Amino acid sequence: MVLELLSNAVLIIGLFFVFLAMLGLARLPDVYNRLHTTTKIGTLGAFSVMLSILLKVGFSPMGVKAITVALFILITSPVAAHMISRAAHRHGVGLCKESVIDEYGKACESACSINERE
Amino acid sequence: MKRYIAYSAILGLVWCFVHGTVNVNNFILGVLIAPFIIRPFKTLFPFDQDFSFANAIKKIPAQIKFLYVLIVEIIKANIMVAKIVLQPKIDIKPGIIAVPIDSKTDLGITAIANTITLTPGTLTIDVSDDRSILYVHAIDATDPEGVAQSIKDDLEKYTMEAFE
Repeated sequence: MVLELLSNAVLIIGLFFVFLAMLGLARLPDVYNRLHTTTKIGTLGAFSVMLSILLKVGFSPMGVKAITVALFILITSPVAAHMISRAAHRHGVGLCKESVIDEYGKACESACSINERE
Repeated sequence: MKRYIAYSAILGLVWCFVHGTVNVNNFILGVLIAPFIIRPFKTLFPFDQDFSFANAIKKIPAQIKFLYVLIVEIIKANIMVAKIVLQPKIDIKPGIIAVPIDSKTDLGITAIANTITLTPGTLTIDVSDDRSILYVHAIDATDPEGVAQSIKDDLEKYTMEAFE
């Protein structure tokens, strides 16, 4: 009974955070800021949903698989964000106009001025 | 050879978790399959360096401490980004900052980069060619030195202890 309630509570928290991630994806200005929400909030959201499955079914095969999936998401989502942002920057996707500093752009220009986009 | 045994044991445990039932049969099956997985990815791991079980076990307390710090930071990060998303008018000053790091090994750099991505307001974009600088996108980049200092003090200390 207590586990059931706890599981539902964690599920609602997780869904709320996933909702926030999608809201951030729509509201924030450029690709880098959007990646902030999808990696950070998305990770905790998915983690909470998986944790709620574990609390509901206990350490049965399904619960163990759920917690494995949660750990994989925790490890792989930063790597995905890293690759997406790097690829975006190399393709010349600029920062939004509110940005105050871009030290990576400067380093890229001096290192690979041949490939620089006009 | 010692590395093969250690990685096989870890992969055996991972196989148990993926299969869903943790028992001796599954573990042995996982350990038997593991070398075929490790062989193609051998170049990604430092197989030419010495490896000792004693050192690996010695690092476990530091890794548990790091995990605790990581969980606290993830929760803080979520609350911070949630606040930004829920503001009626989004008022942010993002930017990309160069952060010098002390980690030297591949594992150490990977750990600090992933940790930076999961912690408040920062997202790793790239590592420089000489592996001394991480380029980090910060949601609040009005104080670049402060961000670099907080990464060094709050996170790198723990990853250096746990993974180097």
